[in-house]
Amino acid sequence: MGKATGFMEIERQVPKKRDPRDRVQDWQDIHVTPPKSDIEQQASRCMDCGVPFCQAGTNVPGSDEIGCPVYNLIPEWNDLVYHGRWKDALERLHKTNNFPEFTGKVCPAPCEGSCTVAIDDDAVTIKSIEWQIVENGFKEGWIKAKPPRKRTGKRVAVIGSGPAGLAAAAQLNKVGHTVVVYEKEDRVGGLLTYGIPDVKLPYETVMRRVRILEEEGITFKTNVNIGETISWEQLNNDYSAVILCTGAQVPRGVSDVPGHDAKGVHFAMDFLTQNTKSLLDSKHEDGQYISAAGKNVIVIGGGDTGVDCITTSVRHGAKSIAQFDINKIKGETRNDGNPWPLFPLTFAKEDGHKEAEAVYGEDPRAYQWLTTRFVTDDDGVLVGLEAVQAETVFENGQKLRKPITGSEKVWDADLVLLAIGFTGPERELLEQMGVKTTNRGTVDAEYGQYNTSVPSVYAAGDNRRGQSLVVWAIHEGREAAREVDRYLMGSTILV
Amino acid sequence: MNRIGGRSNTGEGGEDPDRFTVDDNGDLRRSAIKQVASGRFGVTSHYLVNADEIQIKVAQGAKPGEGGQLPGNKVYPWVAKVRGTTAGVGLISPPPHHDIYSIEDLAQLIHDLKHSNPDARISVKLVSGTGVGTIAAGVAKGRADGIVISGYDGGTGAAAKTSIKHTGLPWEIGLADAHQTLVMNGLRNRIKLETDGKMMTGRDLVVATLLGAEEYALSTAPLVVLGCVMMRVCHIDTCPVGIATQNPELRKKFAGDPEHVVNFMTFIAEEMRELMAELGFTKIDDMIGRADLLEQREDVIGEKAKQLDLRSLLYRPNPENQSAHFGTSEQEHLVGESLDTTMLMDSCLPAIENKTPLKRSYPVWSINRAVGTVIGSMITKRYGAEGLPEDTLDLTFTGSAGQSFGAFVPKGMTLRLVGDSNDYIGKGLSGGKIYVHPHEDAPLEPEKNIIVGNTSLYGATSGEAYISGIAGERFCVRNSGAKVVVEGVGDHALEYMTGGTVVVLGDTGKNYAAGMSGGVSYVYNPRASFEAHCNRELVELDQLEQHDADELKTLITAHVEHTKSPIGNRILANWDEEKTHFVKVIPTDYRNMLKAIDTSIKEGISEEEAVMAAFDESKRAKAVVK
Repeated sequence: MGKATGFMEIERQVPKKRDPRDRVQDWQDIHVTPPKSDIEQQASRCMDCGVPFCQAGTNVPGSDEIGCPVYNLIPEWNDLVYHGRWKDALERLHKTNNFPEFTGKVCPAPCEGSCTVAIDDDAVTIKSIEWQIVENGFKEGWIKAKPPRKRTGKRVAVIGSGPAGLAAAAQLNKVGHTVVVYEKEDRVGGLLTYGIPDVKLPYETVMRRVRILEEEGITFKTNVNIGETISWEQLNNDYSAVILCTGAQVPRGVSDVPGHDAKGVHFAMDFLTQNTKSLLDSKHEDGQYISAAGKNVIVIGGGDTGVDCITTSVRHGAKSIAQFDINKIKGETRNDGNPWPLFPLTFAKEDGHKEAEAVYGEDPRAYQWLTTRFVTDDDGVLVGLEAVQAETVFENGQKLRKPITGSEKVWDADLVLLAIGFTGPERELLEQMGVKTTNRGTVDAEYGQYNTSVPSVYAAGDNRRGQSLVVWAIHEGREAAREVDRYLMGSTILV
Repeated sequence: MNRIGGRSNTGEGGEDPDRFTVDDNGDLRRSAIKQVASGRFGVTSHYLVNADEIQIKVAQGAKPGEGGQLPGNKVYPWVAKVRGTTAGVGLISPPPHHDIYSIEDLAQLIHDLKHSNPDARISVKLVSGTGVGTIAAGVAKGRADGIVISGYDGGTGAAAKTSIKHTGLPWEIGLADAHQTLVMNGLRNRIKLETDGKMMTGRDLVVATLLGAEEYALSTAPLVVLGCVMMRVCHIDTCPVGIATQNPELRKKFAGDPEHVVNFMTFIAEEMRELMAELGFTKIDDMIGRADLLEQREDVIGEKAKQLDLRSLLYRPNPENQSAHFGTSEQEHLVGESLDTTMLMDSCLPAIENKTPLKRSYPVWSINRAVGTVIGSMITKRYGAEGLPEDTLDLTFTGSAGQSFGAFVPKGMTLRLVGDSNDYIGKGLSGGKIYVHPHEDAPLEPEKNIIVGNTSLYGATSGEAYISGIAGERFCVRNSGAKVVVEGVGDHALEYMTGGTVVVLGDTGKNYAAGMSGGVSYVYNPRASFEAHCNRELVELDQLEQHDADELKTLITAHVEHTKSPIGNRILANWDEEKTHFVKVIPTDYRNMLKAIDTSIKEGISEEEAVMAAFDESKRAKAVVK
């Protein structure tokens, strides 16, 4: 175990990131590699719990996750890191997580919320320890391609190269199946590449892993839209099994709000995707992106995607930024309905918030604002929005937003970014394939089984689950690969 | 638990007397059940009279046969105080009770404890195991009021990893065995049957009832209710929820509340009531032992599990007579027939009440067991741990005393035995004084003859004993504070001793001072034969320093004064030379702690702080570095 009394002696210390004032000047990674000794010391805070909630990976109905969804063996590799056994720690980490370099940077870390130290102290810095285990592994050259010794002769197609698709492909390839990953965009990675800003998860980090996967024998085909470029029939003929990992990309809109079609109202994902594509293609020189430069930006939606919009807008040089959150400001401590070990619903300042604060002098968040109308000039160009503050109330089991009279306000806005979630996967391909969907619009495939209504077709990740975390996508990709292997071979050694 | 009519259990580590008085809000924090285990930690007269039930822990369901261990870094000064040991020095509960080597011995201990508090029930905790029914029958015949069948499933987070799994048996097996055996032998209605071992739900309790239990113990579940997260670090003093620790910093993290336990127990009772309603019962008494209502499940997975045949587990003997299936009558403890009640009471009661000194003589025979124990319990009930002024009751007995002479007698009682004694003299001595010497007409040389039996002064906590003659085996085992002089001892003397002073003016048997972690002993060793008999795993042999010699001389002088010991006389007569023939036996850790405390006191720190400082220092020294 770590050091028995480590949690009593050492304080939690998260590795420092680049100074917000400096980092908003460029598009470089915001992370800074901490000294190894710091990480070893932080790992010693782990208590090696008799019942380690951090690795439990459970969903409590009606609530958030408890513990790591990929069941990372956290106490074990914390102990190894504490004892300086970094290579062993890396092996232990790779047992459960194919891509710790992604989760180590962008996971909201339900593990830390469930850490036993966090009952009334600060959690072990599990996320940054994970990140450093894998970064150190790359630095030392320990992470190399390990192609399978034998091929089974079975061909599997994975549609979508986001975290679920990559994890499924990696696992299937490991047991000898021939895997082809199809991506409709021009670059591999799905949301890892185009959803998450490059400063948080650089494209190079994704490609570093993809190159290893290619060396191991996986084929990636970009700019292929299944259903258009290749027909479903042909795909079905060419492969023994197919895994759908297309994500939940249909954004939730504001069609009930007057003026929603104003010029200057965009979906967050369009904004983020175009930005990263233009950045990677030409360092923004092609101008093929929605610019926030000199604009009053309002981000609608208090979640992570909203924060990513802030991160990007700050770097564009927006005139002002506000982020609308429909909910009340969260408390510093957990409330009664959100006890440990549930994911803590407490106030947190994300990287984007810190950057906006550094540039504009204040936290960009505005709480309980409900947009009632988008205001345009005569040309239909957005100039502002009308909003009212609202109470969230539950009546007859229905969640209602009740406007507070007298709180109406007109906000200046030249650019509105809608980051209020996704409604589900894109439907065209699913309809063409004849895959049954649930009433939520997600693919109908049972958790743990992943088989859809169409024989030999499986589904994993957001298109089955609805929008979720990278770590859940990896988890589902791994498990779906297990089920496909079982289907193809009759039994499986994958977990 | 007292709020809801339940009973909590002290466990084997004693209890802080601060809990024996009622709080302002009417809560009584003391545990109703006082456990008496092999270590006898803190088992004083005061502890015993504050019990509704005294439980003899023969073994525990988890890690049966291993005994308990408390590492030194958890023996905080206030823990040491309650346990009668030294802060910072690790403690071992011996696997066996040194006064139980047969079922008769157990009956004797039941007898002693009943006399130490005639108002308390005496129960015996057994482990679920093959043949536990036979043992239970013996325990029932030994006049226990209750039997606990402990299963393997629960158990302490401090257990060694090798002892957590595949150790012990489920309570279901032992309970059914015990219940059936007791019913078939007509013994079941004399006793109450209790079971424990990871009972978590009302359903568990219902199953236990149907298999024959009328009382149930839960601990893991209520602990979780109080915040336990099953860290399994109970033994290393890092409990992050402040339960299994005495570290003040960690105790701050404790978030439990008595209300939580009250709620939990209410839910358990409610679930049990619902299941009872489904089964059509209105009373627990009608349910006990109705094993015929249980069925073996058919839908089990696993080849081995499918082959299980539970018919003998679900057998119900004597099915017509439900009244044979639960405790309906009281055990006959014969407290009314003891020497204390029949002869001593009349003159002693007024003396106790008025604190008037009393000097009396009585004859004693070997059938008189636990002489003085009931009178002692009356003093403690009346005056608490304080007892009476020294020598208030000065009682002389002439003859051959039965077992457990002077067991648990408190301060203010002086028992002089002229003659000899059976086993267990001075068991649990709690401040009283015992003098034993041969009759002046006896033609014996005391230092060459055995005068008291085995296991004398076992678990003595304070007081004095002067024995002119040789003692049997296992002398002063687990002594934690008594000052004793004796003229020879058998094998295994001073085992697991944690405090007090023992002077031996003659030969010792082998394995002297095994597991001794506190206190000192001076052994007369003119022929240099002692070294070979001493178990030096934990102790060191030293020369006497001046203050040691002074203490020794005082004790021998008292010995001679009270017993007219010839050898004592001879030694004193030639003291300057004879004192060089003594060797001092002292545990290494204990000596280091004393030294550290002494140094701090000399630096002007108060004794309390000095003890704490010494404890912290020893803890740091023991802390594992990486």
